[in-house]
Amino acid sequence: MTEHVSIRLASERVNHCVSSSNDTPRFYTPGEVISGMQDFMRGHGTYVEEDCLKSSVAGVMQKVNKLICVRPLKSRYVGEIGDVVVGRVLEVQQKRWKVETNSRLDSVLQLSSVNLPGGELRRRSAEDEQMMRKHLKEGDLISAEVQSVFTDGSLSLHTRSLKYGKLAQGVLVKVFPSLIKRRKNHFHNLPCGVSMIIGNNGFIWISPKPQGMMVDGNEDEIINYEMQPVDSTDREIIARLKNCIAALVASKMMLDDTSIMFAFEESLKYEEVKELLDPEAMLDIAFLTQHRLNNIMEE
Amino acid sequence: MEGRPRALLERGLCSAVDAQWLMMMMMMMEGRDCLKSYDEVYSGLFDEKGHRKDGREMKEARAMYARGNFVSQAKGSSYIEMNKTKVVCSVFAPREISHQNEFSTVGQLFCEVKFAPFSCHLQRQPHVPDAEEKALSVALRKALEPTVCCHLFANFQIDIFVYILENDGACLAAAITAAGLALANGAVPMYDIITASSIAIIGDKMFIDPTEREEHLALSSPETKQNHGVITMSRMHGLKQIADFRQIGSLDVDCILKATDILEEECNKIVPKIQMILVRYINNGIIQQKKLAEAAKEREAALKIKMKEWSSSIIKISD
Amino acid sequence: MAGVLLSRTEKVFIIDGVKDEYRSDGRSTIDYRPMELETNVVSHASGSARLRLANTDILVGIKTEIDVPKPDKPALGKIDFFVDCSANATPEFEGRGGEQLANSISNMMQRAYQSPQAFDLKQLCIFEGKQCWKLYVDILILECGGNLCDAVSLAVKAALFNTKIPFVKAALMDGGNIDLQLSDDPYDSKLLDVGSAPLLVTLCKIGNKCVVDPTAEEEKCSSVSLIVGVTGNRKYYSDDDTEELPAFQPKCSAISMHGPGSITTTTLRNAINQGIIAAVCLDEALGKTVVRERRDIEKFKRHSYGFLK
Repeated sequence: MTEHVSIRLASERVNHCVSSSNDTPRFYTPGEVISGMQDFMRGHGTYVEEDCLKSSVAGVMQKVNKLICVRPLKSRYVGEIGDVVVGRVLEVQQKRWKVETNSRLDSVLQLSSVNLPGGELRRRSAEDEQMMRKHLKEGDLISAEVQSVFTDGSLSLHTRSLKYGKLAQGVLVKVFPSLIKRRKNHFHNLPCGVSMIIGNNGFIWISPKPQGMMVDGNEDEIINYEMQPVDSTDREIIARLKNCIAALVASKMMLDDTSIMFAFEESLKYEEVKELLDPEAMLDIAFLTQHRLNNIMEE
Repeated sequence: MEGRPRALLERGLCSAVDAQWLMMMMMMMEGRDCLKSYDEVYSGLFDEKGHRKDGREMKEARAMYARGNFVSQAKGSSYIEMNKTKVVCSVFAPREISHQNEFSTVGQLFCEVKFAPFSCHLQRQPHVPDAEEKALSVALRKALEPTVCCHLFANFQIDIFVYILENDGACLAAAITAAGLALANGAVPMYDIITASSIAIIGDKMFIDPTEREEHLALSSPETKQNHGVITMSRMHGLKQIADFRQIGSLDVDCILKATDILEEECNKIVPKIQMILVRYINNGIIQQKKLAEAAKEREAALKIKMKEWSSSIIKISD
Repeated sequence: MAGVLLSRTEKVFIIDGVKDEYRSDGRSTIDYRPMELETNVVSHASGSARLRLANTDILVGIKTEIDVPKPDKPALGKIDFFVDCSANATPEFEGRGGEQLANSISNMMQRAYQSPQAFDLKQLCIFEGKQCWKLYVDILILECGGNLCDAVSLAVKAALFNTKIPFVKAALMDGGNIDLQLSDDPYDSKLLDVGSAPLLVTLCKIGNKCVVDPTAEEEKCSSVSLIVGVTGNRKYYSDDDTEELPAFQPKCSAISMHGPGSITTTTLRNAINQGIIAAVCLDEALGKTVVRERRDIEKFKRHSYGFLK
């Protein structure tokens, strides 16, 4: 796609399927009987009726020992303690922030689970409460960890580590949470020179690599530093990564640092980043990435 | 004029369509020139000297008469007259937005433009806003939004009503200028004075501040591929910003850019007039206030003298 | 559309990107996202088209009807635009929620099609002063992912290109009324000349520059946008390459501003020029696509996809 506009016909649509193997897993539809109740436990996406375990969503079955779950492709994020998430502050409330994390209910970040400037251990005063909006305001993006899960399924987050907290300049990419591979580390400093946070909730944050932390600087300096324009090479890499992720998602491939990096390397043969918006190029990249992943698996 | 066809219709002497036709025909005889060919109408726009029919030069806008404080009940109001185009505008005090669930952090403008039933050749339906009135209302709101300090009255709305008494072209421009004046007159906080101007283009001729005939012809089509169209631009003078720009017709780029420059100049020409009206209005207010203050002083002085007289008489009595 | 929240730093990132002419997905300021088009998707309409641009999905159906021309324009047909923002697109459109948006789009389309140099209504005339065709252009917004105006104008032009008007076989004068006999054969119909039909380009002002085809995030960073309607070039829409056509110069058929902000004269000038460049590119791409589709149909190479797959 070198011209400015491309209009294709529906008949020329690209099929994004890259799966090489022909064996598709067994799919369940809502109401379908999975098994008798006797020796299984009911997990997400299932319900019990007349001594039978039935599926409540359309998706694939997952079995962990005796627990049976049905996972749909499009689902909202179901949080687990210790997950790294990227979220957006929706509302400033009393002593807590409401954060959107793509889960069924909005998550909560308590004022007490935030590192405030000026030392780790100190009491939260009334002043801090009034300063909450200065710390995080509506629309701000944060990275955080899931601290606990409430009974209704909403999450409580914390940012009590230097690696968590408010995010500065960069791009947020939203994907299905079910496409994110769980890994030990979700913070990556990629060899191409930018950093990336792959949130378990399907929010991926790509940003330029921080040039030395500015923890001690005063507030004005930090703000000034945050507002510095990003240089063009970083910008190009960020755009390329974003389009690569979009290509992988279009083909429903699992995302982690390896697959994204492979896709990035494969994409380098397209000189201009905007060429990657073309469906054919997207399929090409997904296909090549799948191929490389398969090679690694075989080794 | 319209009675005859209607009577024929009622008596069943002609069909409804025919009655409509007859009415139209009669209207044409009266003033409109639909039956004439394009060239005839075009040459009809000029007099023998090559001036426009109303004696103006091509580049000459109509003289504008404007005043504030036209409607005493409104918070602010204005009246603008450009020969046969006459516009009244009134602004009412901010009130809470009704029927709204969400809190809006900026105030809103509610604009309504209405044509008087006798404002045009066509008979207008009173009460029901037609498509043109709706479009004009939206255009007016768009033009005024950048100039009013909307953040100062969160969750409130300001009502702006424009009534076009007579339409002889450039009514949107007149409406915007009038609304700007009425807002300023009503002491609604504004970033800048807003003025608007209109231009009609036919071929290489540019009619500044067009009459309805000129506008109509500029919108209808010549056979040739020449430029034709109408542009209305509103401008904030001090900020040097264009608040709204509407073009319709078919014009090439050079023509639009040239017209933009001319319109900019025209908009600027109106600004001192508006400023003068506002200043005069405030000045009058100050003079009025001074007079009142003096009268109060006089009364007070008279009262003091009286008091003295009384107190002395009381003393005398007590003696 | 609405509902997108952005932090201050994200906005800075986008604004700086536009300043560098490098947007967050690598596009420059006059690049569009890839689009997908299919015409003739609705069997009951005379012409139809469906266009997808990223998340925006537009379906246009054109119906024809015989009508009486306006007395002051006896030789011209009529064209009417109607936009329906269905609640399928976003829940905000529920009830009368989408009415304002729908009105502003249909208004803009009506104005852009007003000039005979943009769309010649004479071709819709059947019998001067008595009968003409009236085109009802119904625009359905199935999904709304920003940049509606551009997508709507493209879909409308494609649908008009696809529109077939039956031939009139005979006309009987009966007193003052005319009885028309229309051809029943669907192949016995004429196509419209839509080469010059205008396309709308939305220029979203971000920082001091304007971009075309903004994403929802980019729309959030801008307070004002300029919509420019630009007439099309017949050359791209004719099957016959040998036909001699007069030299083409794109003209503006409508301009309007949207949003609460204002712009300087210089920005206006640049934006109009930029819009015309973008519109010419769009026009060429659309023309190539629809002509290719027509050729494929003639050779029976293509079958319809519709909403499946």
